[in-house]
Order: sequence, then structure tokens, then C-alpha cells
Amino acid sequence: MEKHIDTELALQNIERLTGNIETVIKGKRKQIKFVLTALLAKGHILLEDNPGTGKTVMAKTLAQSIAGEHQHRINFKRIQFTPDLLPMDLIGSHIFDDTRKDFIFRKGPLFCNVLLADEINRASPKVQSALLECMAENQITMGETTFRLENFFFTIATQNPVEMEGTYPLPAAQLDRFFMKIIFGYADEDTELEIFKNYMMINENLINIQRVLDMNEILHLQQECEQVFVHDEIYRSVRNIVWSTRKDNQIVLGASTRSGIIFLKCLRAYALVNGRTYVIEDDVNDLAFAVLDHRLIYRNKETRMKVLPGIINDEMNRLTKLKISQ
Amino acid sequence: MKIEKIHRPKILVSQLLLLIIPAIVAGVYMLWFINRYYSVLSDKWVAQTVFLSAGLIIACILYNYRFRFSSTFLPLLLLLFIIWKVINITFTGEFSGFYAAAGFYLFSGLFLAGWLVGFGFARFRYFPVLLSILLLAVQIVVVSKTTDISTQKLVYAFAPVLFFCIYMIYIAEVIRNMNEDDPAIGWFISKKLLGFFLVTSIMLWLIFSSFKKEFNAIEKEYGGSATKKERDQESLTKENKDGSISNRKEMGMAGGRGSTKRLVFIAKLDNYFPGTENPNPLYFTYDYFTKFDTLTQTLETDSLMPSNDLFQPDPSSIPLYFTKEDSSVLVKAKGLLLRKVVTAEVYKSLLSPTEYLAPSTAFFCQPITVEKEYQQQFKSAYRAKMYVSDLNSAYFIYNPAGNQQLEDFQQQRFSQLRKVNSWENEDTQFMRYYTYIPSGDAFDSIRLLAQQIAHDSVFAVDKIIGIRNYFLSKDENGLPLFKYSDNPGIPGLPSASKLNYFLFENHKGYCAYFAGATLFLLRALGLPSRVATGFLTVDRSEKNKAWYWFYEDQAHAWVQVYFPGYGWIDFDTTVPSTEQQQSPAPDGTPPINVQSAYFVANGIVTMVDTLNRRVNMIVKKLIYHDRVFDLREGIRTELDVSLATISKDTGTVQLKDLSTGNEITALSFSETLKDIQLDSSGSQGLLQKIPTPVPIDEIKIIPIKKEHGEKKEILQTKHHLSLTKLLFAGLFLLGLFIIILFAAPWLVFQLYRMKTTLTKNSITKAYWSFSTAFYLLNQLGYNRENSSALQFANNDIDPYFNTSLAAFINVYHKTKYSSIGLTNQEEIFIQTFYFSFEKSVCGKVPRGAYFSKFLNFYTTFNYFIQPKNLRHGEAY
Repeated sequence: MEKHIDTELALQNIERLTGNIETVIKGKRKQIKFVLTALLAKGHILLEDNPGTGKTVMAKTLAQSIAGEHQHRINFKRIQFTPDLLPMDLIGSHIFDDTRKDFIFRKGPLFCNVLLADEINRASPKVQSALLECMAENQITMGETTFRLENFFFTIATQNPVEMEGTYPLPAAQLDRFFMKIIFGYADEDTELEIFKNYMMINENLINIQRVLDMNEILHLQQECEQVFVHDEIYRSVRNIVWSTRKDNQIVLGASTRSGIIFLKCLRAYALVNGRTYVIEDDVNDLAFAVLDHRLIYRNKETRMKVLPGIINDEMNRLTKLKISQ
Repeated sequence: MKIEKIHRPKILVSQLLLLIIPAIVAGVYMLWFINRYYSVLSDKWVAQTVFLSAGLIIACILYNYRFRFSSTFLPLLLLLFIIWKVINITFTGEFSGFYAAAGFYLFSGLFLAGWLVGFGFARFRYFPVLLSILLLAVQIVVVSKTTDISTQKLVYAFAPVLFFCIYMIYIAEVIRNMNEDDPAIGWFISKKLLGFFLVTSIMLWLIFSSFKKEFNAIEKEYGGSATKKERDQESLTKENKDGSISNRKEMGMAGGRGSTKRLVFIAKLDNYFPGTENPNPLYFTYDYFTKFDTLTQTLETDSLMPSNDLFQPDPSSIPLYFTKEDSSVLVKAKGLLLRKVVTAEVYKSLLSPTEYLAPSTAFFCQPITVEKEYQQQFKSAYRAKMYVSDLNSAYFIYNPAGNQQLEDFQQQRFSQLRKVNSWENEDTQFMRYYTYIPSGDAFDSIRLLAQQIAHDSVFAVDKIIGIRNYFLSKDENGLPLFKYSDNPGIPGLPSASKLNYFLFENHKGYCAYFAGATLFLLRALGLPSRVATGFLTVDRSEKNKAWYWFYEDQAHAWVQVYFPGYGWIDFDTTVPSTEQQQSPAPDGTPPINVQSAYFVANGIVTMVDTLNRRVNMIVKKLIYHDRVFDLREGIRTELDVSLATISKDTGTVQLKDLSTGNEITALSFSETLKDIQLDSSGSQGLLQKIPTPVPIDEIKIIPIKKEHGEKKEILQTKHHLSLTKLLFAGLFLLGLFIIILFAAPWLVFQLYRMKTTLTKNSITKAYWSFSTAFYLLNQLGYNRENSSALQFANNDIDPYFNTSLAAFINVYHKTKYSSIGLTNQEEIFIQTFYFSFEKSVCGKVPRGAYFSKFLNFYTTFNYFIQPKNLRHGEAY
């Protein structure tokens, strides 16, 4: 299975996409990789950071880099979530058509390829759950009819960790649907200087962004991801990490079985993003926190940054020392 | 930058539990050990430990909470100084003042030592190494000062200390690397501890088992006495494995008399008062204590004593009826006036066959047989001859109540000895040796007492009687001033301070105390004297004249004083025990009527025929009808052993146990030999007249054993040997330990490197190359700390060293986690990677730095025990 993957081509495609995004988003290679990982794993992603760190630009650039059918842009929608947003605003609604004397369904912004759900925690739980349902099922049920969403459907939700007043924090069950939560972070000092110097040009780039990858190519990559080889020891370490989160008394709610499966999907995708046909220990190390942290409920905030890293460390120390002879 | 929390309670607790408590235990062990040998400390090791641990714990807590050293230590010193001043003021000049001050010195010293150690533990990373070296050095000194060495004792002395040192170094480092915030800290530590105990016990076991030979060598050179006769402190005699008793070197010096009344030996002593038929009992001497060791504060036997007149053969190594003589002791005994040769026959029951006891001055030993019917009771026997002074007697100083004849003799002897009052013509070295008394307060008071006792005596004998009378004197209440007690309340060997305690305060002791005190009183008066140990002879022989029975509780110590012309004269100043019961009266019959053998042959067995019960032997020495023939070339002869009893050591054995090559002594009491005379002409025809095979009644197999004399020669240099040898052994161990410690990084590296070189399989080779590369980097100070191997290679190593480590790790990961095989290119890369990597890394590191880094075993420790804490959850 592993042998059938064309790593050359995959790497080339991914490089093209990454390179293209990097013309706009500077110094965020790792985050870009994560976003692509989630994309290739057929998952969705939650970006969390302060305003003005480039979350929206990131989503936009990604959407615009991918070409839809007939070299058109793919369908990219952005929704600013607010407390008064209604599910209908997302899904669409039946409206009365005078000419046909009938109700017709007007599709909402959800019917797209890439959806940017800005500040998702500001919308009411009702809206959130409506969104999350279609994220999980890839379909929308409206009355008696079920509408399938696009085959290529990728949600980038963002949320703002400061200014928590008037927000509806996502419940654990819904957070579980996001494959990864990425803390975007500021660019480092040198990169920031570069951004300030060239912001005119970057703006220009954003408008004239190239469509470098075909949607079908993305779908192909998604298929290839499933063929990435996972060694027994990697399976075991995923199992260990998941179990450790459940056993740890500092964690109230541990990782679910679904999160383990998602973790594996992400590992496979991440390996491919890095041009490999097999998962290595560093993949586990890189991804574990981003995949698992937002799913866990901790006993108190102070231990939050210590418990999971401790678990991952133990597993990494085990893997690094491991001598596997085939 | 790492900002550490000021309060680290978990670290503190683990330091207290894992470092300080073991340190206290080690302290208790050392203090207890030292207390056993240094009476100055007066056995208060519990109190001493409390002070030491107080210092340790307080300092550890204080300095873990970041108190400054100077601002705490200086006030402490000031406080101690004030206390010292106060003590000096309150107890001015009194005896108690001295004791209070001495106690204060001791305890403040211990407290400060504990304080400094606690400070070191809390603050300095390398302190445990320093402390280990110090501890080992101290232990070497302590062990070298103690007198008896055996493998077991060496192991007991060194193994705990060595173990503790390794433990300390390891655990200090583990605690240092502990993560205060890790909730699983207890598990982390227990894991490390478990592993440590396993590894160290295996290592120590290996070390000690591989050096057992060395230890045994030391022990052997030390006289070989220590293992066989392990001393137990409270009994005079020691039971051997076979149940027999060996006299201890310190007999009479170490403890109370044996409490049981078992028969040790009996003796027939042909010594009578001049011109009468009244038996004159004599003390049976085993050893002399002549030298006072100021370091251990004890009296010691010293084979280097001037005019060594101690004859110590091993009777079991002499063939039956053959003799061993040492006439040199007669010259060395120096006294020739009123001397005569006396014979004694000693039948041993509990006493070991190797032991030899006789009244001084013995010079002759001849093993003899025990009659068959007595062989159950008496294992072996010998005949001894000694040159005995007429003035000596076990009756000598105590008045046998109501025996006018004895009293008269006593007075005659005293007047005889009053003729001697000048030692001026004696050898100065001899005099100096036997009148040596150390200086110091303790001995000044003894000197003073001696002057008081002897102030109106003119003659030496009267001075001795004065000392005896002092011990017998009554106090103001009319009660005896001194009492005999087997349990004077101060265990162990009587040392100088104990003697002081005995003389001036307690007034209770056993023979060794009286003898020891008398010795110093005599020496203070300038009389050459020594302590003799052996057996007290009690005459209870109404039935069998001149036969004496010796029971365990007759083990004794007394004093000998040298009188020019008369030699060493026994004096006993031990007061009679009020509660002592009479030993049971001798109930057995002595094994008299010893038939003398007509034929005694000593030689080597050449053939044993168990079927016909015949033995062929080559006779080397022959005694026939009391005539001794020394047959150099040997005569082959056949023995008829059908009636013979064969014995070895103390037990009877079967004929099949006799084998070719054994040295035996064959005896015949056969009447057929009674009238056959031998002509001494020509050795070949010597045995022609004797019927062959010779009927033999008894065969004794001589055990293969070293000459006792050789042992003694080694014993002479024992003190030098023990110290240097021990020092060497200790230093050797210490050196080995240090070398292993410092060589460890390099050795581990070589091990890794060897693995890498030798492995051919690409997959395993990749693993070993990876491990070796990271070990090397770690040892050179490039620790990956918070990054994974790949990140570390990418971000730090490759840019700096210009290597391709990251590429290698990628390939390595492929071998580890992928299902597809390697390409040819990758195979070659793995095969060649490590050495090119090592070359470029070592090329960048200066030689000196490389060398010094490889001596740092801490880095190696860290490599194996420090878990990596990778960064997570930060902004990417």
C-alpha cells in the first residue's frame, strides 16, 4: 500500500500550495502545514489566537489557491458569527417564489468548498450545533429533503481567546469534531519586520493569488493519505497517549476513541505533508498537542500546560529509546 | 533562562528522605564503628548521632530555602563560642568542667560537621563526590587502626561505605534532575531507585567477589588467625567449629571469664615444693601482653618484645612422640637462679589440638598418646618441659588460709626477692620497653597513686605486696574497696580510660582489670613488668597428687615482674570473688599409667591395602625403645594394621581414609617387640630383626599444615603489614572506584562505538549509529534537552557542525517505522554515516575540551537518567 504513494508528486503539490500561501502568510510554515494536514485528513480546523495574527488571511489564501472546476475559483464563503445569527443564515431557507407559486430552497453559505467561520464562539449554541452537524455528516437536512454538501468541504473556524464576554464557548462534544486546534501566534521579530516593510506587496499578492492546485488533486491527496503506513509502535503510542489522558487525575475528561482515530488520520496526513509514506515519532510529537488539547477538560487551568506535554514526553522518550528490528 | 522557584518543597522532602536520612544512617554506622575502638568517645553514639543529624537536617532545610551561608553560619559559630565561654566560667577547674568541655567539643564538632554536610548537599552539585572521597579515606584510616582483619570484616567495613558513596552521588543527581511540578514525582524516584539498587548490588558483588583473593591474601599475611578465631567480645575462649576451644590472644584481656564450667584440659605437673612431696601449682601461661598501644588505648601482644621467651609450637603438627624444642627461650628468660626443669603432661578435652599451654618458661613439646579408654574424653595430649623458678607458685601471693607450711615458704621467697633491689645493670632497651607508661592526665593520676601506695616500701617485693594490699584494703565503712565482678558495666577491652574509671571510681572488675591496673602501677614505680594470660591453677587434687583440672572459668590474667637473676616471677593481684562458687571437684580419674610405645615410626604411606589391612610406609624417623633414629633415606616397611585405631586431628577415621602420600605416625605397644633389641649399625639392616608386618596399635595421620613457626615470623611484622597492606587495599579500592567513575563516559562511548562498528545489518547499524552519535553529542555538551532528535539535528547540530545528521535521522526513522526497504543509496549512507559524522564533530571540538568533557561522568549519568522534556503547546 505504502508503495503506491507517489511521494514525489505529493510533495511537489504540497510544496506548491505551501509556497503559494507563504507569499502572503510569512513565517508560518508550521501552521500552514497543520492546516494542510487537517485539509488532507478530510477534517476541519479551529484557529485560535488574538485578533490580527492572520487567521482570516490564512483561510482566504488557502481557498483562493485551490482551483475549482474549469479553472474557476473554488467556492469560498466567510461568515462572521454574531450572537444574533440564526441557523437559517447558514443553511439557507425556503422562500416563496412568485413565478412558480412554490417554496424554493435558497442555499445558504454552507454550500461551499471552504468555509471560514469567523469567531465561532460568538454565535448561539443553536447555530454552532447546526454548523457542526454538517461538518460531521457532510450533509444538511432541511425539512424532508437532505442536501449533500460539496465533496470537498473544509471548515476553518476561528476563535478569540481574549474578550470572553458574551461568548458561547464550544461544548466538548463539538470541539471534538475539529481535528486540530492551532494556536496561530505572532510571527517572530525578523519576520514581523519583513512584513512591515513589505505589507504593500503582500496585499498585492493577496489580491492576485495564484490558483496552484486543482480540487481533484486535493481529493487525490486525501485518498493517498489513507495509504500512509503506520507502524504498530505508533498505533501503540497513540493508544498509550489516549489512555494516559483518561487515567490522569488532573484531566476530568480524557480523549475519546474518536479522537484517537482522528489523531491517526492527522498523523497520516502530516506524514504525507512532510513527503513521507510512513509516520515517525516526530509526527506524534508535533501533532499530539494540537490534536488532543482542545478535547480535554482539565481540573484546573494551571496544570493545563503541563499534563498533556508530560504524557506526550513519556511516550516520546519511550519511542526514541525504542529499538525496532524488523 | 531557567527561573527556579525559591520554595521547592518536594525537592526538599526528597533530599531529606533520600539523602539526609541515609547520611544519618551512615553516620550512625561510622560513629558506632568508631565508638567500638575509641574509648574516648565512651560509647555515647546515640547522643552523638542526634547532634550530627540535627546539624544535617537544620542545614539542609535552611539552605534549601536559600538562606545565605555567611549570615547563618557565623551566628551559629558565635553561639557555640558563647556556650563554650559559659561552660568555662561555670565549671571552673573542676573535673566535671573538663568533661563538660570535652563533651561540648565533641558534640559541637559533630553538629558543625553535620551542618556543613547538609549545606553541601543543599547547595553544591559535586559535593557528594567530595564527601565520598572523604568518607572512604576516613574508613581506610579507621579500619587500618583496628587490629583484626578478615575478608568478611573488610567487606563489612568497605561495602556499606562504598555503596553509600555511589548511592549518594547517584541520588543527588536524580534529585537535581527532578521536575518539581511533575505529579508523578514519587514514581519517577522509585523507578530510579529500584534500578540503582539492582545495578549497584550486582556491581558491588562483582567487585568484592573478584577482589576476594586480594582480601584473603591480606588476611593470610596477617597471620590467618582472624577468620578462624573470630573474636566475640564477651567470652574468653572461643569455640572452634568442631567444638574445641582455642585460647584467644586477648585471653583475660577482653572480657569476663567464661561463664560455663566445662573442662578445658587437665594436666599433671611434676612440680613440688623443694624438699617435700607437696605439689606446687603453677599458672599455665598462654600469652604475654607487653605493649601498650596509645592509639587504641589497649594492651597488646607483641612478638617483637625484647627477649621473647614465649614458646608457641603447634602440637598437632608434631608427630607423636617426636619433640620440638626451643632452647633460645631459656637464654631469653634471663633468670637462672633457683631454676629447675619441670615436666608437665597436658590432656586436652575442649582445648583445640593446635594450642599449647604450659607454665613459663616452656621450651619443649612432645605429643603423646591418650589411652584408649580416655580417648572419648581427651582428644589429644602432649608433654611439656619448662624451666621453672622455685620462687614461682600459684600460691605465691595469697595466703593459703591456715597452711603454716605455705606461709613459711612465702615469707622465705619474699626475703629471697628482697635481695634484689637494683635493675641498674639491665639492658636499657629492655628496661625501657617493660617500664613504658604513656604520658597524659590519665596516667599521671595512676603514677600518683603508685607513689602513695609505695611511699614507705624500700624493696620491690614490698611495693608489689603494697599494691596487692591496696586492692584488698577496706574503705571507711569497713567494706572491701575493690570487688571482683565479671560485669564491670563497661564492655569491651579494658583501655586506659576504663582502667582509670576502675581504679578511681568504679572499683569493680575482673582479672584483666586488676592485672592491667597493677601493670601500670608497677611500671609507674619503674619495675619491668608484663601481663600474662592463661589458666589459673587450683589445687583440688587430694586423690591424685599433682594432677590439676582446668575449667573454662579458670581463664585468668595476672602480672609478671622481672627480677634480675631470678627472671620473670608471677604475681596475682586479683581480689577473690565473693560470689564465685568453687569449681566442681575433679571427678574423673586421670589417664595415668601411660604405656610407652616400643615402636614409633614416622613417615610417608606408600600403599594401603584395605582388604588385608596392610599398610606400607617409608619410615623417616624411628623411636625404638626410647632410642631415636633419624633415617634420612627412609626404610620401607610393612605394617599390620588389623588392630590399629587410626585417628586424624581429634577424630577416629577408617582405614580407607588413609591414602598414599599421607604422613603418619605408627605406634606399637606389642609385647612381641618388648625383647627385641636393635643394633644401631647400618640403617638398612635396622629393621631386620623386627617381625614383618609390624603389628601396629595406633596410627595418627598428620594433617598437612604450615609450620607454626612460619606463622610467627609473619606475625612479627604484622603491624607494619597490616597498615600498609590495608592502606593499599583501601587506596586500591578508592582508586579503582575513581578510575571506573571517570573512565565510565569513555568506556560507555567505546561500547557504543564498538557496537556501531561491528554491526553489519543496516537496520541495527542505523540504531547504533544513532545512539552513538547522540551519546557523543551529549558527552560533548550538546544536549538535546527540549527538542526531539530530529529538531535538534535540524536546528542545532547540522548548522553548527556542518553534518548530515538530520538526513541520517530521516533514514533511521525510515528503518524504524516504514514498511518499505531502504534504497541502495540509503544503505550506503547508513554504512558510512557515523564515522564521517564523528570526524566532523571531533574536528570542531578542541582536543583539550574533548578530553575534559569525556571525564565528566555527570553528563553520562544525565544522558541515562534525565528524561527529555519536549516543548508543547506554545505558539508554533
